Order: sequence, then structure tokens, then C-alpha cells
Amino acid sequence: MDYFLQQLINGVTLGGIYALIALGYTMVYGIIQLINFAHGEFFAAGGYIGVIFITWLSAQGLHPYVCLGLSLLLSMLYCALLAMAVEKVAYKPLRYASRLSVLLSALGMSIFLQNGLMLTQGVYDKPYPTDLTQGGFAMGGVVVSYMQIIILVLTTVLLIGLNAMVFKTRIGKAMRATAQDKVMSGLVGINSSTVISFTFAIGAALAAAAGIMVGFYYGSVNYTMGFVPGIKAFAAAVLGGIGNITGAMVGGLIIGMVEIFAAGYLSSEYKDVFAFIILIAVLYFMPTGIMGENVDDTRV
Amino acid sequence: MKRFILAVLALALVAVAGCDSGPKEALKVGSMSPLTGPYAADGNDIANGVRTAIEVTQQAGGLPGFESIQLIAEDTACDPRQAVAAANKLINEGVVAVVGAYCSSSTIPASETLDQEGVVMITPASTNEKVTERGLKNMFRTCGRDDDQSIAAIKFMTDYLKAKTLFIIDDKTTYSQGLADSVEKKAAAAGIDVLGHEHVNQGDKDFSAVLTKAKEANPDVLYMSMQNSATGSLLIIQARRMGLKCAAIGQDAVYHPQFIEIAKDAAEGVYLTFGYIDKDKPAYKKFLDAYTAKYGEPGAYSAYAYDSAMALFEAIKMAKGKTDAATISANLKQLTMEGASKKMDYLENGDSGSNYIIRKVENGQFINFWDPQTGKVFEK
Repeated sequence: MDYFLQQLINGVTLGGIYALIALGYTMVYGIIQLINFAHGEFFAAGGYIGVIFITWLSAQGLHPYVCLGLSLLLSMLYCALLAMAVEKVAYKPLRYASRLSVLLSALGMSIFLQNGLMLTQGVYDKPYPTDLTQGGFAMGGVVVSYMQIIILVLTTVLLIGLNAMVFKTRIGKAMRATAQDKVMSGLVGINSSTVISFTFAIGAALAAAAGIMVGFYYGSVNYTMGFVPGIKAFAAAVLGGIGNITGAMVGGLIIGMVEIFAAGYLSSEYKDVFAFIILIAVLYFMPTGIMGENVDDTRV
Repeated sequence: MKRFILAVLALALVAVAGCDSGPKEALKVGSMSPLTGPYAADGNDIANGVRTAIEVTQQAGGLPGFESIQLIAEDTACDPRQAVAAANKLINEGVVAVVGAYCSSSTIPASETLDQEGVVMITPASTNEKVTERGLKNMFRTCGRDDDQSIAAIKFMTDYLKAKTLFIIDDKTTYSQGLADSVEKKAAAAGIDVLGHEHVNQGDKDFSAVLTKAKEANPDVLYMSMQNSATGSLLIIQARRMGLKCAAIGQDAVYHPQFIEIAKDAAEGVYLTFGYIDKDKPAYKKFLDAYTAKYGEPGAYSAYAYDSAMALFEAIKMAKGKTDAATISANLKQLTMEGASKKMDYLENGDSGSNYIIRKVENGQFINFWDPQTGKVFEK
């Protein structure tokens, strides 16, 4: 039983991280039908900016948790600005080009950002000051670290906040309207460029938060770290139904849990295989994903 | 007018070419290592080791018969296909020899290509047995071999730790899995019960699932066979956090200053197998001074890369300007010299002997801990 509970906690933590990254994919896809391959790089950049701020802030003698909070906010802000810049440079000029061109532009941006990180930050892994948030407690045979709790709480808060923003605020309404019909929403006075830019910013900010938490949880960041979680989170977004925010959360949790349980009970060698078998099986029976809705092509 | 300009340009070209083809020319050597990708840290250590060897040699007057030594550093990204492409590129560039690669899975295919074209290859870091077991005439190895490395690890488990049970985790490369398999086989023969042998994927950061399994198995020793130090530190951080308190043994790829830098407290008490390097001898100090002046603290394989290149230059010096593979290979097998890492003395098959010892992390430092040859703890 302890074994199961421990694996459950492992799975939920990993799933929470995937969910945060998956949200960015799904939001951008929902609004401009673009698979933003550069999204994993925002996650990596967030991790790097985070460690730079944390090192600087803790040198100022601030309390560890204040450092964590402040650097989290600052790196979310930074990545939001970075994503807006990327959108402006790489995607906006291609707004009316074929989808393939935008996709290629996204791939190029991903390579550019990854190599940019390598050239500016070096090839060595950057250690996180993990001593700030070390420790945990044991319940019976189950070990829960503080960082796991922080990840779960923060993920939940961000997800609730995001949901509230999308469904309760004016900008959220504008986002939903633009996602439904860009031309029509423009006719009623919504500036679709601003809304799209804003969507990129929010998605990247969430990825940056995930980047910092990964840094603290695993102890280091490196410039290639965006690739694998990016692919997994993309799979999570597709699994949940791409374009659907709740779907991305559910998809992230499922991918994380399947991975952990497959490794824990079957074979660690095939954990990714199981995660992707689930993805294929779900898409076979529900082609739009778990929570995706059927949309006819006229909308896009 | 056009013709005139063309003529001038042509003359200029001839003049430029003329400068190059003097009596002396540059000696071209290549290096191959992962300069990008997850193993870029070790890869750059290797390239910098070769650069240091070139700088030291040139400061000491260079090689007779050559104006200078030119390094062409190629990136393998630890990818077999890219390694073969890099090998072909170096052949086209006309290098006389190559120092590299890092990953055994790159060295093996690249050496086939280089050997066909008669280019000598000296690997400073690929420890898989197969590297020198294929009968290639021009393949050399400055580091140790994994079959010896696993013997050292097993001996430490039985003789010093008195371990009864073992749990192995590797990350599925030619090198890391090859070594882990060899440890598993020898452990069983030595009467150690292997409770589990798990594999993780490259690029994984989360090892919580397999570590929970390891904790459930409750072994005396956790053997970590990872392809690099950063992954090794992720593994040990998570293992300690999970409450896995058993002895942990890593191998030569996990051995790197970065391991302690990232894992910090979690690294304390971890044992690692790595070749013995006498850091007090003059040859090492000479290397260390030259290296740190330009590239910072040496990585795990910097000294081996430096020695590989120094041995190569020595062999070329002995050949008196001849640079064909047969001569260089014959000279490499003949020479003995005091290197920074070890005494350089290549055997007939290209190996240079293993001298694995157990090191331990203590107070944020690697210390020499136990010698499998004598079965004794090193004196401090």
C-alpha cells in the first residue's frame, strides 16, 4: 500500500508539471491553431532565469521562500515578455500564411532559443540552491518532500487562477471569442493581435513556473531540458483534447501517472511506450481527445 | 577591365596559396566529442584537453617539420550517425589522427570509418570493451576498460562494503548499459544478490518510480550507471530524498566536479570508480596549470584527452615528419612516457591498461578512498 501511495504522489507531481506546460500548448492551439514547438524552450528559459534571480535574491539576504516567490514572479514575467517577442517576430508576420509555414517557423524558433540558451548560459548544468527548500516528512513508509507539496499547491493555484481568468474576466471572454471566430470577434471590436499576444504570454508564464519548480525539485536545469517534457506535454494536450484547458490539465495528470505507474509496476524501460499507447488508444476511440469537442472545418 | 581584375584576383590567389605551401606546413589533428547536447560538458572538457596539449607542445617549440598544429574539433552530439559524419569530415580535412570520441556508441562506428581510411584514433573516454576488441590496427585507448571497472566495483562491494544485495540503474547507452550488465553478471558470480536492474531513458529527469522500486527492494548497494554526471546527480538527489540510505556507487561518467556541484549534500558519501591519477606528480601539475589558465577546472576526462594528444605528438616526433597511420601506430605502441593521468604505455591491442580505484565524496571533494589492487584504504 505504501508503495502504491508513494508512486501515486510521484505521479501526481510529475503530472502537475506536465499539465502546466501542456496549458501553453493548448491555449495557443485553441486561439490560432498553431502547435508552438518553441513552447518547451520557454520552460527551459524559465528555469534558467529563475536560478539567476534566486542566486541574486538570496545574495541580498532574503528569506528562502521569499526568494522562491519573487523569482517565480519575475521569471514568469520575463518569459511572458519573451513569448510576446517570439510571437511578434516569428508568428505574427505569418498570420495569413499557410499553417505549414508557421509550424516551420515554430520549429526554427525552438532551435534558435535552445542554442541561444546554450551560447549564453553554457553547456554545463546549472545547479539550483536546493538547500533552500530541502526536507519533507514521512507518513508511514511514504516520503513526501516539501517541494512536492509546493508543486502541487502552486499548480492548483495557477490552474484555478487561469480558469477564473478565462471564464470570468473580460480578457478571458475576448480570448474565447477570438478562439471561436477571429473575424467576427474583430468586427465587434476585439483587437485579436493583442489577445493572441496575451495568450502567448500567459502560456509562457505557466511554462516558466513549471521550469522553476522543476529546477527546485530535481536540483538543476540545462539547456536541453525543454525538449522531452515539451513532447510529453504536447502529448498531454492532445490527449486531453487540444484547445481545451481542462483537457490539458487532465491529460498532463494522466501522462504523468501512466509514466510513473508503468515504470513502477511494469517496466521502466517501456514507460514512455505505455504513455504513448494510452495516447493512441484514446485518440482511436475519441479522435478529438478526452475533452475535445467536435469542430467542423469551417471554424478554422 | 574585367579581365584585368580577374587576372589580378588570380594572381592574388596564387600569392595567397604560395604563402601556404612553404616548406613547413600545419599538422592537422582532429578531435571528436559531444560539443552540444546533454553530454556537451564532457565533450568540451575533451576538446579543451586537446587544445591544452597543442598549446603546451607549441610553447615548447612545436613539432619538428611542422609550422604549427591545427585542431579541427568536431561535434558528435553522442549520436552514432553524427559521429560517422564527423569522421568523414575529418578525413576530408586530411587530419593525421583523431582524439575522441566520448560515448562508446560514437567511438565504435566512427573508428570503423577512420580505420578504413588509415587515420589513427585515440579515445580518451570510451570505456566499453568492444572499442579495442575489434582488431582495428589504428585504435587506441587512454582510459580504462569497463570489464576492469566492473571488477573494481564488485571487489569493493564484497571486500569493503560486505554487501549481500545490489540494485542497479542504468540509462541504456552502449556504455552505461554495457557496464551495468557486466556488473550484474559479476555480482551474481561473486555471490551478491541482484534485487533489480532497472533502465531509465536518456533525457529523463524524474527517477522517482524506479527509486521507489529500489527502496522497496531495500538493497545494500545502489549501483548507478548513468551516461553523465548531471544525470547521476539528479538520481542521487532523488534517491536520498526518497529515504534510500544505502551505499551508492557510481562510475567514471558520473565522476565529474559537476556531480558534487549539483547534488551538494546528497553527493556526500557516494563512491565512484575512476582511474587513479596521481595529482602530485609534475606531469599532472604541468597539465593542470596550462589547463586552468585558460579553461577553468579540468573535467573528468580533460587529463586523458591531454595525454592522448601528447602521446600522439610524441609518436609524430619519433616518426620524424612521417604521418602515415602505420608509422604513428607503431610509434604509439613503442613509446612510454609519463602522462598527466597515467604512465602512457599502449599495448598491442591499443589499450593502455586500467587502474580503477574507488573514490569517495567527502566534504564536497573527491578523495581517493580504496585501492582494489591492495584492498586497502588510501591514507589521507
